[in-house]
Amino acid sequence: MSVDREMDELVQREISRRQLFRLGGAGAMSLGAAGFLAACGSGGGGGLGGGSKTVSKTIAKAPLGTQLNFSNWPLYIDVSHGKHPTLEKFTKKFGVHVKYTEEINDNTEFFGKVRQQLANGSSGGRDIIVMTDWMAGKMIKLGYIQKLDHAALPNVQKNLIPALQHIDFDPNRDYSVPWQSGQTGLIVRTDKVGDVKSVNDVFNPKYKGKVTLLTEMRDTVGLTMLGMGKDPTTGSTADALAAIDKIDKYVKNGQIRRFTGNDYLKDLPNGDTWICYGWSGDAVQLQSDNKNIKFIHPEEGFMLWTDNMMVPVGAPHPYTAEVFMNWIYQPEVEAPIEDYVNYVPPVAGTKEVLLKLDPGVAKNPLIFPSEEVLKNGHAFKQLAPADEDKINNAFQAVIGA
Amino acid sequence: MSFARRHKGLLPWALLLPGLLWLIVFFALPLYYQGRISLETGSIFNGFHFDWHFGTYTHAWSQYKTQFLRSFWFAGLSTFLSLVIGYPLAYAIAFRGGRWRNALLLAVILPFFVTYLVRTLAWETILDDSSPLVSILQTLHIIGEHGRVLATTGSVVAGITYNFLPFMILPLYASLERIDGRLLEAGADLYGNRRSVFRKITLPLSMPGVVAGVLLTFIPAAGDFVNAALLGSPKQTMIGNVIQSRYLELNDYPTAAALSFSLMAIILVLVAIWAMVAGTESLMGSEAK
Repeated sequence: MSVDREMDELVQREISRRQLFRLGGAGAMSLGAAGFLAACGSGGGGGLGGGSKTVSKTIAKAPLGTQLNFSNWPLYIDVSHGKHPTLEKFTKKFGVHVKYTEEINDNTEFFGKVRQQLANGSSGGRDIIVMTDWMAGKMIKLGYIQKLDHAALPNVQKNLIPALQHIDFDPNRDYSVPWQSGQTGLIVRTDKVGDVKSVNDVFNPKYKGKVTLLTEMRDTVGLTMLGMGKDPTTGSTADALAAIDKIDKYVKNGQIRRFTGNDYLKDLPNGDTWICYGWSGDAVQLQSDNKNIKFIHPEEGFMLWTDNMMVPVGAPHPYTAEVFMNWIYQPEVEAPIEDYVNYVPPVAGTKEVLLKLDPGVAKNPLIFPSEEVLKNGHAFKQLAPADEDKINNAFQAVIGA
Repeated sequence: MSFARRHKGLLPWALLLPGLLWLIVFFALPLYYQGRISLETGSIFNGFHFDWHFGTYTHAWSQYKTQFLRSFWFAGLSTFLSLVIGYPLAYAIAFRGGRWRNALLLAVILPFFVTYLVRTLAWETILDDSSPLVSILQTLHIIGEHGRVLATTGSVVAGITYNFLPFMILPLYASLERIDGRLLEAGADLYGNRRSVFRKITLPLSMPGVVAGVLLTFIPAAGDFVNAALLGSPKQTMIGNVIQSRYLELNDYPTAAALSFSLMAIILVLVAIWAMVAGTESLMGSEAK
């Protein structure tokens, strides 16, 4: 597939001999990776090796491609009449068609799907993928991500909000550019549970059977750790396991009804759930439909995470991907996305644009939380593989699988 | 023409080819890889390698014994309920349906026009805590004042029963409908009352349908994960849910493959026992006679 696209581009414009050589090499590589049997098995070897040595080079400036292949999570960009206005604007301005695929439903699931390809130096035709912090860190460490050229990203340099400029897994943002951030806290039915302040209220026996937690391990374990007075950024594996034990106790006694993705979108309005762990972007939607539903930042703190755009190794149009990222980092471009998505935008100045466009959204403290609130946000620490295995296994056993 | 005549012997093979290819590509090959993966060790980050590691099986069995037993318990219960509900229904359609037979059969199949997932999601809404059905049950004191239907064993078993009921009814109907009415008349002529005619003629002749229906219901029910995921709580997790989470949440392919293989093996053994008890003749249906 990617070979075809490269051929199209070759035909469409002249190209230097060196580039031709490079494309030829990439083509041969993806053909090799396409071996059916190799793809079928879970593959021997591979692993940490793969393309890691060849990719530390920074993405070079190149002519724009004719197409950009962008893989993202569902409902994570503005939609109007079945189209994505932002992407159409990009096409109009740069003449690059964006093939937008909503194929990422889960960090781990997606990783399982693409790992073999990435280890072989192929991105499966993808130019941009969007991964949550911890998975982004893992992919960078494995050498599956291309290094970005800061010179090609002046808008990102200028407009990326300070809180996200230096993060532990990518201190200088050499590999990742934030797409959206979000908060994990409590979502409650105020008419059923009254004014709740603490994470530990999910364990209040009055709400037995009306509580759901998230299937996302870092959110559920992180929040529970905060309730136990432990910081998920600095806490130990033992602290995490203690939190899982606590959750287990409340699963066994029937306090916790079940573990969900965002099923609470349905369960809260119809009363199956009164109090749950949930995500801020969903809460914005729920609150506007039902005044009895409220997102609460627990007094012990809440979880803060970011989904990041990255260019995987073997991406057919890495430079075009940079151009796209840079273009997105303009407040006027980001604002319509934000107006639809309702998470927390990483682009400074978005609020000012939205004040004119949609003041309701601009004034929403869940979408533009104050510095005061953000101080209480925590990120789950980067886990060593052995610890991660231990915690994941314990957690999956508790959530019943 | 002449080619076809000269190679007449090849024709059956040529006709078999599509089916054979299908079986190889979509059954034999995946099965082979599944088996191979179940004997690998490693992790998604360091890669997996094949080393005849049978330990995964014993470890998976001891860790997920509960879910295995629960799956077979739920599947068995649902199959029994399907039989109890399905037999009278199939009987009524076959013998009392008259000119409405086809319409009634259509009504049985009709829910199948909507996908499985959507039907189960609909039940999630029908049974939710604030639904009219649940308040009626609460008023009648069938469930407690704060009782619920959703996220209980009852709702999961009911969901499985509902979803696989047609697999029971259709073979039952097929075998009942084929019964020669003159046999029943003969039974009555010999002073058999309705009960003994049913017990001595109808029931034995419908056994192929019962055997097939039980198999068609039990096998998919034992591997089901949708009902437990949507209508259950962590206390109702079935082996299908474990396999799904091992594959997709943990990328632990060897354990997932070992669990799938074990599930297949256990079902195969159960089917073999069932076939021995019920007799292969009834398994093959009355055409065999």
